[in-house]
Amino acid sequence: MSPRLQFQGISKLFPAVRALNDVSFSISAGEIHGLLGENGAGKSTLLRILSGVYRPTAGSILIDGKPVTLANPVAARAAGVAMIHQELQEVPRLSVAQNMFLGQPLTRGGIFVARREQERRAAEALAAIDPSIDPAAPLGTLKVAQRQIVEIARALLDRARIVAMDEPTSSLTPSEFERLAQVITGLARDGVAVVYVSHKLDEVFGICRRATIMRDGVVIDSVDLKGLSEKAVVAMMVGRELAQERHTSHASNEVMLSARGLSSTTKVRDVSFELHRGEVLGIAGLVGSGRTELLRLLAGADRATAGTIAIDGKATRFSSPRDAIAAGIGLVPEERKREGIVPLRSITSNMALASMGVFAPRGVIDHARLKRVAIDKMGRVNLRPFLLDRPIRLFSGGNQQKAIIGRWLAAGTRILLFDEPTRGIDVGAKAEIYHLIEELAREGHGVIVVSSELPEVIRLADRVLVMRDGSIAAELHRDDISEQAIAAHAIPQTQDSR
Amino acid sequence: MSDTILVQPRAEFMRGVSMRDAGTLIGLVVILAVFGALVPGFFAERNLINILQQSSINACLALGMTLVIISGGIDLSVGPTAALSAVISASMMVAGVPFPLAIAAGFAIGLACGLVNGLLVAFVGLQPFIVTLGTLSTYRALALIYTGGNPVLGLPAGFRAVFNGSLFGLPLAVIIVAFVAVVAWVVLKKTPFGEYLLAVGGNEEAAYIAGVPIARTKIAAYMISGLLAALAAQILIGRLGAAEPILGNLWELDAIAAAAIGGASLMGGKGSVVGTILGAVILGAMRNGLTLMNVQSFYQLLATGLIILAAMLIDRVTRGRG
Repeated sequence: MSPRLQFQGISKLFPAVRALNDVSFSISAGEIHGLLGENGAGKSTLLRILSGVYRPTAGSILIDGKPVTLANPVAARAAGVAMIHQELQEVPRLSVAQNMFLGQPLTRGGIFVARREQERRAAEALAAIDPSIDPAAPLGTLKVAQRQIVEIARALLDRARIVAMDEPTSSLTPSEFERLAQVITGLARDGVAVVYVSHKLDEVFGICRRATIMRDGVVIDSVDLKGLSEKAVVAMMVGRELAQERHTSHASNEVMLSARGLSSTTKVRDVSFELHRGEVLGIAGLVGSGRTELLRLLAGADRATAGTIAIDGKATRFSSPRDAIAAGIGLVPEERKREGIVPLRSITSNMALASMGVFAPRGVIDHARLKRVAIDKMGRVNLRPFLLDRPIRLFSGGNQQKAIIGRWLAAGTRILLFDEPTRGIDVGAKAEIYHLIEELAREGHGVIVVSSELPEVIRLADRVLVMRDGSIAAELHRDDISEQAIAAHAIPQTQDSR
Repeated sequence: MSDTILVQPRAEFMRGVSMRDAGTLIGLVVILAVFGALVPGFFAERNLINILQQSSINACLALGMTLVIISGGIDLSVGPTAALSAVISASMMVAGVPFPLAIAAGFAIGLACGLVNGLLVAFVGLQPFIVTLGTLSTYRALALIYTGGNPVLGLPAGFRAVFNGSLFGLPLAVIIVAFVAVVAWVVLKKTPFGEYLLAVGGNEEAAYIAGVPIARTKIAAYMISGLLAALAAQILIGRLGAAEPILGNLWELDAIAAAAIGGASLMGGKGSVVGTILGAVILGAMRNGLTLMNVQSFYQLLATGLIILAAMLIDRVTRGRG
């Protein structure tokens, strides 16, 4: 029997780059196939070709042995390809059912939308995977995990034979992931071929039997994951072994920041803790437990309704991030595109944004000095290439993240708050960010790291606060930090474990 | 520090940024060439100066508009702001107030109008389009109510001499606006405020987290726009010798057009002082040429519309897909 999906010698040339070069591999019906590689390896380009957004420069795609031309997204859907996007593409105000039939609504006589019929069919598709979702509810009222289920249900409606998922779990909690994994496994049992793209190797190992590893636009290998170690796969992805360094603590006894009884309307409830000079303080907890909201209070982005923040023993009050920056605090936000970078501006402008005043003592910016500082900080955070005037949006996610860190170094920030520091960053740059965070601590910065990736917290933190429902549920010291201990405190006690 | 690192990127920067301005310049050259070929005497020194003079008021407004657009906003109220500032300033002069004082009062009115726009946008959080649509009617109504709908006539000769004078063979109005353009260029390229404008318009949330004073930046942009509208008003009433409460009708559209032709993005975060000036001169040259060709004003309007659309299409095509 011919494979469900086969890529044959796919190449894609863009004006300046060869994004894909002779990519060939195949996936059988009922298989969940991992697609692995660093950012820029060509995974997204390949998925875009599969979903009809790009046309390949050379090569062909075969579905069930027959060559298909996927000239546009509609053609791809008609051919049985469904794409579950990383950033969900939908209309939040419309109902679940309306979203599922978006672009090709069911009609009565070709004029009126058959809303009831849409909802009935949507409910049927949802029943198979998550009956708790109401097809008439506005999509915006659903959680991200549920929206993903809706997208999958939509694929079922289209009778998709191939489902491609791009980073489906980047914002899911572990239990939500379990649920999604069940749904995906169910799809595969029904004979759908699933292409699963994720940066989270443990997930890929958990649900995929085989995987194709790409690097620089070529297929390195299609492998059976059984019997392979994660380390071996990472080595194939980056083309070298990544050194796993040992953690050493640089924490001193000097208290840099102390929070007392912090509360906010945004979920934070009576949070007290201290951050020491040279310490990396991890904050773990489920998505929605108030971690991001706590960081926003500390960074002056939201206002506290109660409680105090003291810096070096001096009580302070922040009414905007400007105040927090003046007190030496800087936030490296989770959503880099939305809260971090100014995309059209140069990397230099982005790095100088928090310290503009310093570069313009007499009102006019000293560009020579600004460039010197930018180069210095770029070297410091290992940001290459030194294209000072290139818009930041043209840099990789890892480099953008380094630029934001550089921004705070340029501003003389002493306390750095990282929210999901390696989200959307590839494996190689991830190790560099870790290294950088350790360096910052060694130099005497105070660092707080919020992360959903437990291995990341364990790797970096000297001490971990576990948040639950807006408060601190536990404080774990170096020797007590483990995935089990964190999970035990993070999950609400009343909820039965599935 | 090695300079070799810097040479390459700087060259790329010059190419990257001024590409758009170069495009606008090419557009201007083409239009000048066409009219030069069609209209005898189009290139006469007198006519070229005329074009600059006719473009100066729109250029002045468009500079303020550019800053507001870069900040992610829009200012539809520039015409009525100019009218209100003009009638108050003019009636003070007619009442015998020394004209420098009356001019200063006119500027203060412009700043105040901008301040109201800015406060409503920055602190109340209303959408700039709606805010300035509201103040467009409000300021116009105030000007009409204040004058009872009648023009203020009989401006002092001393005042008129200032704005109708010339320096180095150029009308003073042109020189004033050129000076304003240089200042605007320095502000945008060389000051923290310029960086803040670009950052606020480019990504307000990121600018906020980076400590940019969002409200102050937006308010300043609207105040500058109001001030430049008041300056444009002074130039106009100096030329006409009278201030009408209906002056400045549809000025906002020409100003937006000049900024857009010059490369400003209504999405915010992007715009160029040089481009805006070129855009204003393109519009001015076109009107001048068509008038000399005795083309009906209906067709002038058509040409204006087509120029704007053509500029946007060329922009879209050369920039490629987002």
